[in-house]
Amino acid sequence: MESTERLVRTWMASGRDEEVVMTASEVSDGRTSLLNVVKALGEYLTAEEDSLRTKGVEFLSLVLDRSPPEKLNRQSVRVLATFYCTKLEDTETIIPALKGLLSLSRLINCTSEDVPAITRALFVHVKMKVLVQSVRLVVYSIIDNFMARHRDALKQMNKEFLAGYVALADGEKDPRNLLVAFAIARVILVEFDISAFVEDLFNITFCYFPITFRPPPNDPYGISADDLKRNLRRCLSATPAFGPMAIPVFLEKLIAGSPMTKRDTLQSMTECFPVYGAGLARSSAREIWNALKLEIFQPTDTITADMALNCTQSLVKTIYLADSRAEDGSETDSEGLAQDACEECIMILREPEKSQARPAIKVLCAFMSTTPSVAHYTISKTAPHLVALFITLEDTASRLSDLLLLSDLIAAARDSVSNLQQSDVIEPPLLPYKDDILGIVIVGLQTNSLRRPALACLLGMVSTKYLLTDEELGFVVHKTNEVLQGDTDENDDESDILKLLTTITTISPHHVVDQTLPLLFNDLPDQAPSRAAVTDRIKYRRILSALSILCQQPELFEVFMIRLTTRVELLCSATDIEADSEPRAAYAHAILRSIAQTLSSKVDEKHVDVPKYIDRLVPRLYKLFIYSALTSDGGYVIATDPRLILVAGDIISLVAQCLTVERYQTFMVALFSAFISGNVASICEGQLKLPADIVFHPFQDSALTSLKNLILLFAAAIIAAPKEVSIPVSSLDGFLSDILKWSLMTADNDIQREAAWKILTSILNKHTADASGFLSQQLEIFESNRLSDTALTVPQRQQGVAAWVYICKALLVQSHPSALDFADRLFGVFGDESIGWDAAKAIGQIVEPGDVLSKRNRSVIKILHVQKFVSKILPRIIAGANDTSKPNEQISNLVALASLIKSISKPLYSQQMPILIPFLLRGLDLPDESVHVNVIDTFIAAAEGDTPEQSLVAEHVPSLISKMLKNSGIQDTPSTRVRIAAARYLAILPQIVRYDILHPYKSQVVKELAKVLDDPKRAVRKEAVNARTNWIKCGG
Amino acid sequence: MVQEVFNPNPVIVKPAKSADRRHLTSLWLDHEDEAPNDADDVVEPIDQDEIYELVRWIHDPEYPNTLEELKVVSAPQISVSRNHIVVEFTPTVPHCGMSTIIGLSIRVRLLRSLPHRFKVDIIVKPGSHQSEEAVNKQLNDKERVAAALENPALVKTIDTCLEGQSALV
Repeated sequence: MESTERLVRTWMASGRDEEVVMTASEVSDGRTSLLNVVKALGEYLTAEEDSLRTKGVEFLSLVLDRSPPEKLNRQSVRVLATFYCTKLEDTETIIPALKGLLSLSRLINCTSEDVPAITRALFVHVKMKVLVQSVRLVVYSIIDNFMARHRDALKQMNKEFLAGYVALADGEKDPRNLLVAFAIARVILVEFDISAFVEDLFNITFCYFPITFRPPPNDPYGISADDLKRNLRRCLSATPAFGPMAIPVFLEKLIAGSPMTKRDTLQSMTECFPVYGAGLARSSAREIWNALKLEIFQPTDTITADMALNCTQSLVKTIYLADSRAEDGSETDSEGLAQDACEECIMILREPEKSQARPAIKVLCAFMSTTPSVAHYTISKTAPHLVALFITLEDTASRLSDLLLLSDLIAAARDSVSNLQQSDVIEPPLLPYKDDILGIVIVGLQTNSLRRPALACLLGMVSTKYLLTDEELGFVVHKTNEVLQGDTDENDDESDILKLLTTITTISPHHVVDQTLPLLFNDLPDQAPSRAAVTDRIKYRRILSALSILCQQPELFEVFMIRLTTRVELLCSATDIEADSEPRAAYAHAILRSIAQTLSSKVDEKHVDVPKYIDRLVPRLYKLFIYSALTSDGGYVIATDPRLILVAGDIISLVAQCLTVERYQTFMVALFSAFISGNVASICEGQLKLPADIVFHPFQDSALTSLKNLILLFAAAIIAAPKEVSIPVSSLDGFLSDILKWSLMTADNDIQREAAWKILTSILNKHTADASGFLSQQLEIFESNRLSDTALTVPQRQQGVAAWVYICKALLVQSHPSALDFADRLFGVFGDESIGWDAAKAIGQIVEPGDVLSKRNRSVIKILHVQKFVSKILPRIIAGANDTSKPNEQISNLVALASLIKSISKPLYSQQMPILIPFLLRGLDLPDESVHVNVIDTFIAAAEGDTPEQSLVAEHVPSLISKMLKNSGIQDTPSTRVRIAAARYLAILPQIVRYDILHPYKSQVVKELAKVLDDPKRAVRKEAVNARTNWIKCGG
Repeated sequence: MVQEVFNPNPVIVKPAKSADRRHLTSLWLDHEDEAPNDADDVVEPIDQDEIYELVRWIHDPEYPNTLEELKVVSAPQISVSRNHIVVEFTPTVPHCGMSTIIGLSIRVRLLRSLPHRFKVDIIVKPGSHQSEEAVNKQLNDKERVAAALENPALVKTIDTCLEGQSALV
């Protein structure tokens, strides 16, 4: 007791937190009690001086707030409650008393007996208008707590409570308080007997509608207009009693409001109609529809128009759902709004080509997803109307619009059924009209200008479940084939046709297999068209791309694959020697490409039939290419063309990507046995007979180029192997060294070298630990032997750099600790006159994502590997670019910087941008177009997300503008790529830099860009037009 | 802003796909990575399609549609010779009061986007407008165009049309 008194006295003087904490802890320890605190406070609680009374009550409330709830028994709660209620009368103590009551209202021992007294005291003594926001929030929170804990007590007070609360909440403006007030209001509206207070409650809720609150920038309370709107909407839609008063308010706001208000109103109405009930909806339907119609037919914007459509749906559902429920779901009439609106829209549809037809069909489509009876009525009026219209109309443009409208209706009819959650078979709403519709759609299909909408109609019909029979599907395929086959020189609709057929293959593939495929294969020429026959060539390409799109389903793909592989084999083994065999090679290439394309989409879609082609397709390809390479005597055999080998490699990789580890392992053994030991039979299969006397040794120094090119097919099969598949060689280190040596010493061309490096990088990535011997050896000798050895020719040393990039990549993508050491070797030759720049550019190539090390190829890739690498290497490059003591290395570092930054994403360097910009600008002075492109692309990437308020480049504007102008003009810049990039950047500048900075340069830029408008290249002109428009516009 | 809508329910056409400039005549299939910049010395002259590409996206002052959708402009209505371009456009109705604004929008767009060596004539399709001559005169008289473009309200309207919005809705 003594210590309590002491604490009270100290606090009165100091007002510090510590005393409160100590008192509260004494209470919780049981050393003192709240009663003691009251006693100790005694004199202050009744003091004459205002400030002392305030402080006295405040201290009590603070201690109460921190005391454990179990220390307050029923008795003390009652005493305290009464005490606080009396303190509400005193304007000096009302604030701390409210805080005390708030603490009490949370306690278990504050029971419903206390609620009426406290609530009454609140209503009598609290004048909300004189209190500040935070105190008002306390009042709302007390009531909110009561609402949560003692709702029944409040309900018993019904009239008294409602009257008191309405008066209390009237005039509240602060969004923080409103959030709580709306929550309270919602409970009152839903659960209380509000019959006598409807108007009052309406007034204290609808006065806030529509919410126009906009949170201040950096709002610390984080209350958005949407929070308020949502909570208010829950109040507006809480009771049907609001209906008659609410509708006029809504309509008024809808007509007069801004777009935001319109949207809010529409959303609120959509939610309110079902609550307000069918009766009201029916009686005010006309009025509401007239207002909604305006929003749909003369829309402010599409979002608002869509919301108006939603609102219409809600209205229609409210009116007619009640009907159908009442009459047990039986067919009910759709008299009233639905019928009137339907007829109105159909009137408008008499002129299908006019702009109003579009919103009209949208309304009808929206009706399709309301109630079954309305949907039934709508389609029974609209479908026959559109069909009849098509027949009577003569003008093609109107017919086209008519079909377009019909396609919308078909799609809406389909979606209206698919949205229902019923498992049983529902009759599609379109069923009674399908014959008529099919009739006119087929007519449309056969007319050139009507084909696009007709195809849209058909697509809608075939994708509707249970609408068309199998026979009808066959009919559709048949008719579509006729179009596909017909004179289609400039058939823009081909992609639509294929989409339709592809959709049919997912439902019932056999029609397409039986009808369409033979047709397409028949049209595919047996022999390649000659070089001059451009139309024939375009035709076979079209057929191939059509086949490639169509034949993704397993059933179709099998046919496709067999037919096309045979075709390629025939083309490649054709013996009649024509004068010009290149067209034949191009044809075979096109066929292989379409196989690769189809496979690629299948792999993306994770089709399960891909792996089986390791036995059916891959061996035939190996046989074909090995046979051709072995039998060629130096003359041109088409299957030795590297372009064909490349595509074949793609196909092999795609199949390999889907193999299991076990299957891959056996495949790998066979592969190595063929390419290393010459045992080709293990991977080959097919009709062709390999010559017995020639051995297959593609790695031998003396092998012909055509044979060495086949390393490509070796690499293609290795790169997709998972790391669990072991490499079937006696020493991995030795094998890798051999491959590297072969690539640098023996290989004839870049294709072979790259293939070898792909093998290298893929194996190193997946078997890093097993290749440690190779790695440490190369780390030691590669630089001196391959990079800086001046006895080698420059191209040889450049190849060394390129090979090193592949080795570095293998380590980098898995964040291997030694990746940096490997990259370091490149820095070693930065000062070199002949390959310094190559090494510098290689820094960027290391981090560039490649196609070999990828998820698809099951490489070992760690996330954030680029980040780790860049954070180490970027400071080093910046330091190097600053170092003037070695001019050669300094420039190489600039080149490296441009190439590195180009390859990484903005967050990795944006922090450093202020330091980097001067370097990048210097890069624009170097005589190298790829550096220029890199630098400008970096500026473009860095501009992403920049704003005039905080621009990274603002201080460099003068030099940026002069350099970009120089780089966009043809007289200084012969490279189109650079000119395009520079003009593009000039177009961005006005968006990211404040106008007052740009103003001095505006006239110069506009004048200079006028010259670029006359650039000989279209792509440059396009960017220049953009740039010039942006500059003319900026500033105003 | 505008009190009278001259044509409350205009005909809308779907826009055609952009002109396809790919060369399908080469012997081998193009690889996608083949950038358009090869052969830096090949000259691609400004042609009908390029001009059309410039004007088709201009918005009508009255409707939320482009001039292309309203069939106010079309590619065949544009002719290009060495230093002379004629753009013809068709108002949606003969009493359309917006014709001058549409024409001026086209004029401004081309002023900003074409090299100065071109002389540009912008005309209303003969017989499609009741005050055809007055409109043509306004659009092709240098002084009159310059005077019109000194009116800030007018320039603002034109800029909105060029930016792809309808200025007066």
